[in-house]
Amino acid sequence: MNDIRTSLRRPEVLAVLAGLIVTLALPFVLETYWLHVLIIAYWYAILASSWALLAGYAGQFSFAHMAFMAIGAYTAGLIAIHLELPLLVGIALGTVAAGVAGWAIGVLTLRFRAAYLALFTIAFSEILRTVIRAETQITRGDRGLRVPELFDTVSRVPPYYTMLAALVGSLLLMLWLERSRVGLFLRAIREDETAAAARGVDVVRYKVLTFVVTSMLAGLAGGIYAHYVTIVSPNNLVISQMGLVIAMAIIGGVESLIAAAIGAILLQISLELLRETGAWRMVFFGALLVITLRVARDGLLLGLFRRLFKLGPRAELKAGTAEGAVSDGA
Amino acid sequence: MELEIRNLVKHFGGIHALKGISLRVSGNELVGLIGPNGSGKTTLVNTIGGIHHPTSGQIMLNGTDIAHKKPNEVARRGVGRTFQVTRAFRRMTVMENLLVPGMAHSPERGQSAWRERAREVLDFLTMDHLRDDYARSLSGGQQKLLELGQVMMTDPSIIMLDEPFAGVHPKLMETIFGYIETLHSQGKAFIIVSHDMDSIFTLSKRLVVLSYGEVIADGDPEDVKEDEVVIEAYLGKEESVA
Repeated sequence: MNDIRTSLRRPEVLAVLAGLIVTLALPFVLETYWLHVLIIAYWYAILASSWALLAGYAGQFSFAHMAFMAIGAYTAGLIAIHLELPLLVGIALGTVAAGVAGWAIGVLTLRFRAAYLALFTIAFSEILRTVIRAETQITRGDRGLRVPELFDTVSRVPPYYTMLAALVGSLLLMLWLERSRVGLFLRAIREDETAAAARGVDVVRYKVLTFVVTSMLAGLAGGIYAHYVTIVSPNNLVISQMGLVIAMAIIGGVESLIAAAIGAILLQISLELLRETGAWRMVFFGALLVITLRVARDGLLLGLFRRLFKLGPRAELKAGTAEGAVSDGA
Repeated sequence: MELEIRNLVKHFGGIHALKGISLRVSGNELVGLIGPNGSGKTTLVNTIGGIHHPTSGQIMLNGTDIAHKKPNEVARRGVGRTFQVTRAFRRMTVMENLLVPGMAHSPERGQSAWRERAREVLDFLTMDHLRDDYARSLSGGQQKLLELGQVMMTDPSIIMLDEPFAGVHPKLMETIFGYIETLHSQGKAFIIVSHDMDSIFTLSKRLVVLSYGEVIADGDPEDVKEDEVVIEAYLGKEESVA
């Protein structure tokens, strides 16, 4: 009980709780259009934060995340259309299908690092996109697959809370993993795979596990998204969409699930606010990414959070991040 | 503990790094492994540790062949090792660096028990004041100690140290020397790869010399020092090793 009380006094926990209360109250003050923007922002937040777990924690720089999202979306949609099962069953099966695909990709790419993994996953995404475009009798190709709505209402409030619940649930699951030994091992693997193995970490197991979990979360996001926008198309798999998710995670902070999620939400809102500027909004987005990579490689938001909430190891707070700040002492 | 290497061969494409090495380390032996650059010392350590799989031959650990086991499986069977170039997890704290091997070895013990073990190890290494610092903020010597600490966490029966004295301040070298002797007196077997002849000759009770992937000498350090084949491998004929 004392632990909970102590935690509740911590500024970062208070900030998260305040943010959660505000997001819960938003449907009572926002108009439909902005609720729609936020639903899409939360969808991106699930994708960006789960990609951050894969890339930022496990060091697996994958371009297949939107493909897993699409597997979840198409599976949920096709089950709803052809099998007429309850939509939630379709979403659940879509999540499982994405997880199975994630397991297969995880196993196939075990020995791949950096550019090779990126190329492999780009190729996988492109194959999937081409198959979806080509199999028009099943997927309706470029015309997009019409999918029934999750809620029989024009109100955006039920889908808002559904996507918010999916985001919070995903984050809680990933934060639990991060705090457990899995998170410890993933960071060790990211730092040095060979050394992690020499210290007893089953690298194969944890890399594949991360691929499965993050793919399932992308698949879950895809299933809910499909039943919200009611149409899924191969356009969701174009590389610029994947680039958008990656950029959101990097600008937020790829080594923090919360920072990546909040980064995605803020950027989606910003892009919407800049919609009238047309193509220039993407210039803003690109410039922000360049600035992040140049001056704050840990992410703009993560850097801000560290300063605000004084997060990070003692030596970093005392002496910045200077290498070799501590003397030999021998 | 008994480690027996039987006719170990390792090829990298056309390069024959190990050409039929046979070696036995038992009890709490402290074996120095020396040899000129490229003689196969690190390849041998990496092959025992599971990073490389041998082309042929056996590595028997307490009667079980571990030649084709993965590094994590070898580590779990009680073989600890450090690396020639330190490979601490730089963006993790000292405490987290120590928790990794502990939690990987037996997660059922729980993180708090492993934290306590880590504090014991840090006390032994007189590094407890650094436990919350990132590994990247440590000096090279401290990172070597941290690696030794990682190895100590799971109490392995045999410890392989690859160049533990390389690039280390002389004072810290003495400290590492002392830690090795203490652990050895507690029953740990060691295989120590080193180019530092003074240290290895003082520390080891037995020296194994590799040259071009073969064992050219194996025995008492004083005898090895006078061995003509060893002298020739290191310095060419008509010169002395010491």
